[in-house]
Amino acid sequence: MRLARISKEGARALSAHKLRTFFMMAGTIIGIAALTVIMAAGKGTEKKVMKRVNAFGTHAIMVTAGGGKGFSPPQEGITTLRLEDAEDIRTQIGGVDVVAPFAIQRGMSVKAGSNQVQTVVMAVTPEWHDAWEWYAADGEPITAEDTAAMSRVCLLGTLIAKDLFGGQNPIGEYIQIGNVRFEVKGILQERGVSPMGDEFDRRLVIPLTTGLRRLFNQDHITNIRVKVRDSREIESIAEGIGQLLHERHHITPPKEDDFAIFSAADIAKMARGISGTLTYLLGALAGLSLLVGGVVLMNILLISVSERVKEIGLRRALGATRRDIFTQFLTESLAVTVSGMILGSVLGWAASIVLAQVTQFPVVLSWEPFALALAFALVVGVFFGVQPARRAARLKPVEALR
Amino acid sequence: MIELEGIEKTYAAGSVETRVLKDVSFRIEAGEFVAIMGASGTGKSTLMNVLGCLDKPTAGHYRLEGTDMVDLDDDALSHLRNHRIGFVFQQFHLLDRATALRNVMLPLIYADQYPDDAKERGEKALAAVGLSDRMTYRPNQLSGGQQQRVAIARALITDPAILLADEPTGNLDSTSGAEVLAIFQRLHRDGRTIILVTHDKAIAEHANRIIVLKDGTVAEDRPVAQPRDAAAEVEVLSAKEAGQ
Repeated sequence: MRLARISKEGARALSAHKLRTFFMMAGTIIGIAALTVIMAAGKGTEKKVMKRVNAFGTHAIMVTAGGGKGFSPPQEGITTLRLEDAEDIRTQIGGVDVVAPFAIQRGMSVKAGSNQVQTVVMAVTPEWHDAWEWYAADGEPITAEDTAAMSRVCLLGTLIAKDLFGGQNPIGEYIQIGNVRFEVKGILQERGVSPMGDEFDRRLVIPLTTGLRRLFNQDHITNIRVKVRDSREIESIAEGIGQLLHERHHITPPKEDDFAIFSAADIAKMARGISGTLTYLLGALAGLSLLVGGVVLMNILLISVSERVKEIGLRRALGATRRDIFTQFLTESLAVTVSGMILGSVLGWAASIVLAQVTQFPVVLSWEPFALALAFALVVGVFFGVQPARRAARLKPVEALR
Repeated sequence: MIELEGIEKTYAAGSVETRVLKDVSFRIEAGEFVAIMGASGTGKSTLMNVLGCLDKPTAGHYRLEGTDMVDLDDDALSHLRNHRIGFVFQQFHLLDRATALRNVMLPLIYADQYPDDAKERGEKALAAVGLSDRMTYRPNQLSGGQQQRVAIARALITDPAILLADEPTGNLDSTSGAEVLAIFQRLHRDGRTIILVTHDKAIAEHANRIIVLKDGTVAEDRPVAQPRDAAAEVEVLSAKEAGQ
């Protein structure tokens, strides 16, 4: 009750000096606003990263023929990635759940009746379904019999099925890939957009052997998809695969790699991209603002203590204890930072929403920045308020009243 | 009621010691109206600070209603000031941004128990000094005399044992000064204990007893046979002003 009365005195002093109060608040407002934007952007980025990683597969490692940096399609003309590589990965690398070698060909012409499209054809083994966790939604998957018999069968992605057959059920119908007729034996589940931004659902899959012998006329593969048992081991397994392939392909530096390896962890790194740097920059801004704001707050409070020496003396004469004076000034400091926090949060939210709409930067608003901002406001308020409050409380009434 | 015994106060500035009060002793009974008089530099303000429990003496004892303030710590002294002493200062010391009523209620904030009727008490105290119609005014909207009356109302709101006034008319014109003194005399008639510190003999003679300080000791302690009547002076002064 007494605390409430004293705190009210502090609040009154603030509302009586609005401009001064605003300056005391400015640093906190900017700091907290920056903090809110960082956290919103950080959450947004994480969401984007998770989406990409989920699309790629959280347990997935991809070996691609051809070197090069960044996650890219296989390089044409690289013939060194072989089925034997996949077999060795399966038998020699621990922690591996599924190994699925496949060959991918872009820009294949696919026809059904009068409809024709260009698309990506993937020639796969039965393991491919498990390795990608991408199964037949309708009809049958690619089976061991299909690869053994080099069957001319295929599964269509949902979008290409629509492109070729409209609304009709394509299962049992025939399509022509290049010059070869294939029977549609199933429809793949919807998969969305690939990490590289193209539609998974416009692809189609055929048996690996059929693809290599009858369609692509090659005996090398373009990719090996590996699914690991434990996603925490993904980086060490990726490294192991790298070493194995170096040995098998007789690659020692300075010879360049003829393959590239990407794991879910690499995809996450890529997706985070510059947002990490941005976060550090904004973080530094937030920290600096809070620090500078705190110092400004402390100095204005110290000035206000010297300006109000008479008031402090009077209050002491009327019966305020040292603690009462301390409480009043600390309350003023805390009221400033907490109000600054509320204004800063509102500003930060507004800025986040604008940022999201103007730059397409992914932004997610949540309660966490509020909680963190409140904690920061209290810490700054106490840390920079204690010194002025102590100075005020230490004033001797006799000297203050003079 | 008030008992000073061998009060000494020494200020040390570097190696130089200044004895401002030397062996001051006197008693003041409840209901007295006493003026403490002395030229500047006689230790008057220092004595006032001791009497107001704002400062402790270097030696001696000061008993207020039986409690020796020398034994009390800072918190206890604050508490004592809050509920036993009412201050009236030369410069009024009102909060600029607060209304008259809020200024009057200020001491209650530091009371042990905030009274439920705080506002009524504030209004009553302001009415007692004739400022019922000025309750929502801020100090800068009031005349000097009115400001000092607000300060008196503030001093009285906790119903203190003594009213301690330090040159209360020092910043006022003579009419306003007489009005303030008239209030003190009325309070005295109602049984309030009042200590008035002043350098001005004419002001001091409104009290019933004068203690004269000189060089840090009591040089003279005498009753006033016929105190001057402030209310009558107000009338004379007002009439003069009206005549001009």
